[in-house]
Amino acid sequence: MVSEIWTEKYRPSKFYEIVGQEDIIKRVESLTNSLNIPHLLFAGPAGTGKSTLALIVVKELFKENWKENYLELNASDERGINVVREKVKNFARTKSIGNVPFKIIFLDEADALTPEAQQALRRTMENYSTTCRFILSCNYSSKVIDPIQSRCALFRFKLLEKKDIEKVIQKIVLGETLTITSEATEMIYEGSEGDCRRCINLLQSTSSVSPSITTELVSTILSDAKPKDIKIVLDYAVSGDFQKAREKLFDIMLRESISGQDVVKAIQKEIWNLPVEPEIKVKLTEKTGEAEFRIVEGSDPFIQLQALLASFVLAGLGK
Amino acid sequence: MQWTEKYRPKFFGDIRGQNLAVERIREFARHRGGLKKALILHGPPGTGKTALAYAAANETNSEIFELNASDLRNKEKLNEILRPAIEQKSLTKENKVILVDEVDGISVVDRGGLTQLISLIESTKYPIIITANNIWGKKLSALRRKAELVQLKEIDYKTIKDVMIFILRKEKNFVDNDILTNIAIKAKGDLRAAINDLQIIAGMDEPSDILDERNKETDIFSALRLIFKGKPTNDMLKVFDSVNMPIDEIILWVEENIPTEYQGESLARAYDLLSKVDVFKGRIYKQQYWRFLLYEYIFLSYGIASSKKEAKNLGFTSYKKPDRILKIWLNNLRTAKKKSIAQKYAKHVHVGEKRAMKEFDLIKKVILSNPQIQKELRLSEEEIEYLGNEK
Repeated sequence: MVSEIWTEKYRPSKFYEIVGQEDIIKRVESLTNSLNIPHLLFAGPAGTGKSTLALIVVKELFKENWKENYLELNASDERGINVVREKVKNFARTKSIGNVPFKIIFLDEADALTPEAQQALRRTMENYSTTCRFILSCNYSSKVIDPIQSRCALFRFKLLEKKDIEKVIQKIVLGETLTITSEATEMIYEGSEGDCRRCINLLQSTSSVSPSITTELVSTILSDAKPKDIKIVLDYAVSGDFQKAREKLFDIMLRESISGQDVVKAIQKEIWNLPVEPEIKVKLTEKTGEAEFRIVEGSDPFIQLQALLASFVLAGLGK
Repeated sequence: MQWTEKYRPKFFGDIRGQNLAVERIREFARHRGGLKKALILHGPPGTGKTALAYAAANETNSEIFELNASDLRNKEKLNEILRPAIEQKSLTKENKVILVDEVDGISVVDRGGLTQLISLIESTKYPIIITANNIWGKKLSALRRKAELVQLKEIDYKTIKDVMIFILRKEKNFVDNDILTNIAIKAKGDLRAAINDLQIIAGMDEPSDILDERNKETDIFSALRLIFKGKPTNDMLKVFDSVNMPIDEIILWVEENIPTEYQGESLARAYDLLSKVDVFKGRIYKQQYWRFLLYEYIFLSYGIASSKKEAKNLGFTSYKKPDRILKIWLNNLRTAKKKSIAQKYAKHVHVGEKRAMKEFDLIKKVILSNPQIQKELRLSEEEIEYLGNEK
């Protein structure tokens, strides 16, 4: 069955269909054709084709048996050591079906695994190397411990360029008989921030309003999707109303279920738009960095964010 | 002998602190055979429901026939035991009162019990008094219509104290006045609990000891007051030792109330220290190095007290109970559907659930754009409804 979700419907199923990442595709394709791949580590931002490439490798290797020989886990959802000890090991220890002598485990967002789980993984990768290959994906390879990196062939995925995204949009526009202005294409590219999945999702949700896509249409969808409210929080804080800022922040975090780190990220971007002196902007950025550090170190992001908001209150007073 | 039994009131005159309820039940007894043949006494434990029923029986020179939660009360049993009771005359007394105690305790094994009780109410010759803690459940709605309702309120602490003094006098015993006050307050309107406590304490050699301990306990409000309004002193370091609350909860209290007391630079300094408290908390979790707890306590008390330049706001501040955890919990309930949708979507399109949650606004639009997708993801009707409402 063909999926109606365009990110699936238009997911490339052959190496040559993938846009961008030309060098990586070439190397991975030749490894796949030799029917013997090492452990692979795909590093790079979201929506650049890591999962897609992993799926293609698997389908090319195993053909119709791919589902039996393939396990996909997302480490950001199951990040503890038990995943490695149970799911991974259980799958890895049995033999593959078909003529390829190994199975493949795709561990998505492997950088989210706890260090302990990564340590456990390291031995598993070696012990079961005859029956199992790993494809790991991560956003930052630095968050994957060295011993694992050294066991993998590393591929760094780049953000998709404008021409790549345009290609994807054109393909879908043709396939779905839509029309789109070049400005709207540009706007979707800007809004997608080089993330192909986000680009396609934007396109699909826009097209559900009307099949002729214009900038107006895209901008309404985009403004809905942005966590714009962080600005309001900072406005309250800078104007001295800490209580309101605090309430609003908590409200957003609950409603949008966004993490403390995401809030810090949004705050950091928003600093440049604040009506304060340059040296205060620098000071606030420093505070923001410290807050992000403390979120990682601490246990309760909301407390850290409140402390940060209190600095914004001071900034509003010119301090 | 238990004092609660020994001093159980015999007549309406012995009952304390429930004048209104006594009036109502007197009225009910006077108009016997009136509109409703049953009376429900409801109210919290230890407020005198059963006592009132017994007093009513004594006042009217009635025999009392009691059925309580310790008896099996299904349909057959009620028929077998209660039916004869409502039909036959008392052998010993002029009248008869039927008491069905703790009716909210009728449970699933008492199948058909409530229905049977209602039909017995219709045919009874004698008044039926029913007691319950809570009558507002759905289970008892039919019964509520068949009976007069009399609510018993929590007994105020002064009345409780009077009763205790009365008992002590009778027992020729003595307990310190402060302790009595303490028991009375702690009882929160439950006279039976207070009398039980009293009996235990009166029987001890040095009753003051344990209760003194309790007196010393600082509540969170006075601890917060001390920190937010007082000058930092070395004594302050121990302020939370006597607060009977885990430190993680104290942190939430402090967090919630800093902005009610501090502004500007004091606010920033106080939150900075609180943030350090949290960092140490995180380090304890990660490294299991519990000595860091010390720093948590120091920053949380002395540190935050020292964050203000001078104590400005010496007036009374009413502190807010932290409700963040509750709100998170409520929100989780609310977003359970969102989560289950994100889960289905994530699995289907090879992304993490976290990412699906994060991009939910966009994903929601995609899912809503085509009913075929909803089918493809096998969304339940409730989930589809949720998405529709979220629009």
